[in-house]
Amino acid sequence: MSFAIASSVEEALEALDSGARPIAGGTDLVVGARQGKGGLPESIVAIDRIAELAEIGVADGGLRIGAGVTHARLMTEPAVVDRYTALADAAALVGSPATRNVGTLGGNVMNSSPAMDTGAPLMTFGAVAELRSTSGTRTVALDELWTGPGKNSSQENELCVALVLPDLGERAGSAYVRLEYRRAMEIAVVGAAATVQLDADGNFESARVALTAVAPKIIEVSGIADVVAGKANDDALGALVYAQAAEQATPISDLRAGEEYRRHCVGVMARRAVEAAARRASGETIAVPVNRALGVGANA
Amino acid sequence: MTTTELPIFNRADGPDKVTGTGRYAADISLTGMLAAKFKYAGIAHGKIVKIDTSAASAMPGVFAVLTADDVPDVRYSAVIADRRLFAKDVVRFEGEVVAAVAALTPELAQAAVDSIEVTYEELPAVNDIESALAEGSPLVHDQFDTYGVTDDTRMAANDAYVSTLSFGDAEAALKSADIVVSGRFVADASHAVPIEPRAVVAQWEGNKVTVWTSTQVPFDARNGICETLEMPANRVRVIVPHLGGGFGGKCGFHFEAHIAALAKAARRPVKLVFSRMEEFLAPDRRREGMVIDITTGLNSDGTIVARKAWIALDNGAYCSDSAFFPQMAAMHVLGPYKVPNTHVESHLVYTNHQPSGSVRAPTAPQGCWAVETHTDELANAVDMDPVEFRKLNCVGTGDAGAMGQVYEEIALQECIERAAAAAGYGQDLPENEAIGLAVGWWPSFPGASGSYIKLDGDGSGQIITGAQECGTGAVMTLPYLAAEQLGMQPEDFELVYQDTSAAPYDTGATGSQTLLNNGRAVQEAAIMIAGQLKDLAAEHLEASAGDIVLADGAASVAGSPDRNVTIAALAEIAGGGELLIGHGSGAPPDYPDNAVGATCLGDQGVAAWVGPQFMCHAARVRVDRDTGVARVLNVAAAHDNGTIINMTGATGQIEGGILMGIGQALTEGTQYSDSGKQLNAALLEYKLQTSADAPEISIEFVQINTPGAGPNGAKGLAEAPNVPTAAAVSCAIAKVIGEPVRQLPMTAERVWKTA
Repeated sequence: MSFAIASSVEEALEALDSGARPIAGGTDLVVGARQGKGGLPESIVAIDRIAELAEIGVADGGLRIGAGVTHARLMTEPAVVDRYTALADAAALVGSPATRNVGTLGGNVMNSSPAMDTGAPLMTFGAVAELRSTSGTRTVALDELWTGPGKNSSQENELCVALVLPDLGERAGSAYVRLEYRRAMEIAVVGAAATVQLDADGNFESARVALTAVAPKIIEVSGIADVVAGKANDDALGALVYAQAAEQATPISDLRAGEEYRRHCVGVMARRAVEAAARRASGETIAVPVNRALGVGANA
Repeated sequence: MTTTELPIFNRADGPDKVTGTGRYAADISLTGMLAAKFKYAGIAHGKIVKIDTSAASAMPGVFAVLTADDVPDVRYSAVIADRRLFAKDVVRFEGEVVAAVAALTPELAQAAVDSIEVTYEELPAVNDIESALAEGSPLVHDQFDTYGVTDDTRMAANDAYVSTLSFGDAEAALKSADIVVSGRFVADASHAVPIEPRAVVAQWEGNKVTVWTSTQVPFDARNGICETLEMPANRVRVIVPHLGGGFGGKCGFHFEAHIAALAKAARRPVKLVFSRMEEFLAPDRRREGMVIDITTGLNSDGTIVARKAWIALDNGAYCSDSAFFPQMAAMHVLGPYKVPNTHVESHLVYTNHQPSGSVRAPTAPQGCWAVETHTDELANAVDMDPVEFRKLNCVGTGDAGAMGQVYEEIALQECIERAAAAAGYGQDLPENEAIGLAVGWWPSFPGASGSYIKLDGDGSGQIITGAQECGTGAVMTLPYLAAEQLGMQPEDFELVYQDTSAAPYDTGATGSQTLLNNGRAVQEAAIMIAGQLKDLAAEHLEASAGDIVLADGAASVAGSPDRNVTIAALAEIAGGGELLIGHGSGAPPDYPDNAVGATCLGDQGVAAWVGPQFMCHAARVRVDRDTGVARVLNVAAAHDNGTIINMTGATGQIEGGILMGIGQALTEGTQYSDSGKQLNAALLEYKLQTSADAPEISIEFVQINTPGAGPNGAKGLAEAPNVPTAAAVSCAIAKVIGEPVRQLPMTAERVWKTA
C-alpha cells in the first residue's frame, strides 16, 4: 500500500496515471472502508494540501469553486451565501462540524451518492464539473456526470478540480431543504433544491428543482419552468410544485423511510424549497440553512 | 455529627476523561498480549451440524481457537440456566458466540475466525412476540423442562416466565364501570449504546486470573467467570478501569470468561475490543420490545375503578436478568395510580432475537409510554384535563397503589403541580405545538453492599469500596458521606474501587442502587472509625469518649472547643499502634409488609417497592404536520428521589435521562429482517439524539423525608429520569395531531401516517 501527498494538481494527476485514487477529507472513503464497503485502495494520493483546489473565483460572471473547498467554508463564504445560497444551505447540513471541516465539495460530487446534499443545488444552478487528467481538461454537465448510485462517468485518471457555476441573473434566489429526523449527523432521507428567477412584478419567470435521494442519482424535475411561469409564490403554486416533484420521484423503501412517505416528503421539500428560493429572490434574507431558519423538517 | 454546606461536586474522574489521560479497558497493553475475535452464529436459529476450526488452528500467529468442546460444559444464567459460553448443538440468535480465536493481531484473529467453517441446519426463526405464543410455534428452547425451573407458571411453550398480578376483582369492576377504554401499544426493541464499545483483557498468573473489563457489575462478572470456568472466587480478580458509560448495557456477565479461557489456552494475555456493530449484536442487554393491551374502567366522575392488561415482552434467545421483567412491566402499566381492581397477565417470551436485559429502567419507558398515552385517552373520555385527571387518580401520601401498597411520605402530587407549572401548562400555544405531561415511578433496590475505610498516619483517608462508577457520579459522592461522619472534608478521601479482590461485595452500577446501599456501607465504616477516633481523643484530652465531637478536622470536648486535637494528630498516634480501619455493610431497608406480592410464593419481588421514586415530566413538542417530524422544545422535570446529596450528579442524571427518553420516543428502535437479524446495528441507521437535538430542560427536586430510604434520606436516581419522557412526548404529539401514535419509537413516518 502506498500513500503520497501531492502538492500540485500536476503531481496528483501523475499519481492517478499510475493507478492511485485521490483522497481529500476521506469522510466517504475511510468511513466506507472501515464499514467493510471494500478496503482502502492500494495506492492513495492526498489532494487536500493543493492550494489551487481550495480557490474560489469569479468565472464568466459565475463562480468557480475549487473541488477542495470544504463544506465549512461553503456555508460561510459570502460569494456562495449571497448568490448560490442553496449550496450554502446544503453544505451547512452535511454531517457534523468535524465532517464539514474536512469534507469537500469535489468529494461530495464525485462520491456520486444520490443522497449527497450539494448535488441538487448544483444541478439547479446548471453547474458543470471540471475534470482534468494529464491529457487535458474537460467540463461535464452533472446529469451526464452521475450515472447511478456511487457511479459517475469520469475516467480513473481524471480528477475533479472545480465546479463551475453560471451567473444566475437578476432577481434570482435558491434554497435547499432536507427532511431531517434529527439536527446533526443526518443523511438525506429526501431533499430538494430550487433555483428560481422572478420577473419585475415578483412573479416567477423560471425555476429549476432537483431532488435528493429519491432516484438512483440526483434528478432534476422536468416541466417545472412551465408550471411556475408567470405565477405568484403562493399556496396554489406550492401544490403544483409538490405534485410535479412527487410524481417524478422514484423512491425506494428502506430502513430510513418507506416509498410512499419519501414520495410525499420530497414533494413537501420541493414546495418549501421553491417558496424559500422565491422569497430570497425577492430580496428577503433567510439565514443559512433554510431548515433551521424556517423550521423545516426537524422544526427549528 | 457535623454538617457541611452541600458542596459542588467536582468529579474525581473528570479531568482524566476530558483531557484524554483517562485509561479504559481497551487502552491496556500487556507484554505478549494477543487479540481476540469471535465467530458469531450469523443466523437467528439453526442446528450446528459441524464446526471445522482446523484451518484457523493451522494459521501462523494463531495461539488458541476455542469452541464449546474446550471449556467446562456449564449451563448458566442469572435466573434460568439456559445458555453456555459457546453455542453447543443449537444457535439461537445471530450474535451468539460459536468460537473464539486469539492471535497476534486483530486482523490475523479475524482472518482465522473467517476461516472457521460452521455447517448449520437452519431452523425457522421465532421472530415475533405474539406468534411465539401461538400454538404450534417453533420452539426456541425445546428442552426447557430440563433447565431446573420449578415454579412453572408458563402458559405457552415459548414463555420463559409469566407474571399474573391481581388485586380486587377487575372483571366485575369493568362490567359495572361507566366508561371502558381499551388500547394497544407496541414498543420496538432498542439499545443502551454506551459510547465505549466494551473491551476485556485477561492475564493468568499461575492458577489465578486477572480480568480487566468494561462492566457495570464487577462482582457479577467475577461470579460468571467462577461459575463457567469452575473456579473459586478468590482466584478470580476483576478490575474495571474507567468505564465509558453503560446505561445497563454493561450489566451482567458477558465475555469475561471467553477471554480468560483464551488467555489460559494461549498462555498469554489476551484482549478483546468490540466494534460498534458487535456492541449492537452480541451482548445480552438490549431494551425489550413489548406488546401492551390495556383496558381501564372509569366512573363518570373520572375515578379509575379497574384495569386489565396483557403484556408480552421480547426476551430474546436467553434469559439474562430479565426474569423480573414481566412483573416490573405490569407495575409500570398499572402506574402510580389508585386502581382498586387490577388484573395484569405478563409474558416474558423467548424469540430468536438478541437477549434482552436491564437497560436503564427496564420495561419502564415502554410501559409508562403506553399507560400515560392511554391515560390521556381516559381523560378525554370523561372530558377532563389530563393534569386534573392525574391529580384525581395518582397516589399521594397515605394512599394505596394498584397492588395495595400504602405509600408513606411521597411527593408525586407535588411533582405533577411543579412540572405543569414549570412547563407553563395551560398557556396558549401555536397550533402545531402542545405540552404533554406524564407521571412515572421506579423502585429503590435494597441489597448487600460493603466498604472499608482507612485513615493513614498522615490523616488522609481511603475508601475501599466494591461500588462501580459507570459515569453517574454516585461513587464520587461517597467521600461526602464519610467526611460528614468524621468531621473531615470530602477532599480528604481518595477512592479505591472497581477491584473485586481489594473491596467487599457490591451489586454494581445497576438498579440505581450505589448510593442507597454502598452509601450506607460507607457511613457504617466511617462511624466505626469515628468511634476509634473518639476513644483516642478521649484518652488524649482526658475526657469521656461520649463527650468528643468530631468537626472541622479535629476532635474536641463538647462545650469546651479549646480542648481539642486534630484528626491528623490522632491518626499519627494510631499509626504507631492500633490502626484506624473501618468496615461497613449494614442491613438493607426492609420491604414494606403492607403490600400484596411482597412475600408471595412465585412472586418476582417487585410488586411492592422500598423507597419508591416518583416523577413527572412535561414536554413541549412541535410537530411538523407535513412530514411528521416532532421536535421536543422544552422538558420540565419534577422528581421525588428523596434527599439529593450530589446535586451536580443528580442534575446530570436527569438531563441525560431525558435525552435518552427523547431518543426512545422519536428515533431509537431496532428493526428486524424476516429472518430475525438486526437491520440497523450501526449508528448510521440507529439514530441517537445528538446534543443539537437537546431541548431546554428545567429540573426540580421535591425533597421530602421518605421512610425506608437510604443514607440521609436518599433514594435511587439513575433510572428514574428515563421513565416518563417518552410518555410525555407521546401525549404532546397526540394533542397536536389528534390521535396517539401507537408504536414506539414515534418516528416521523409513523406520526405522519397516524395524523
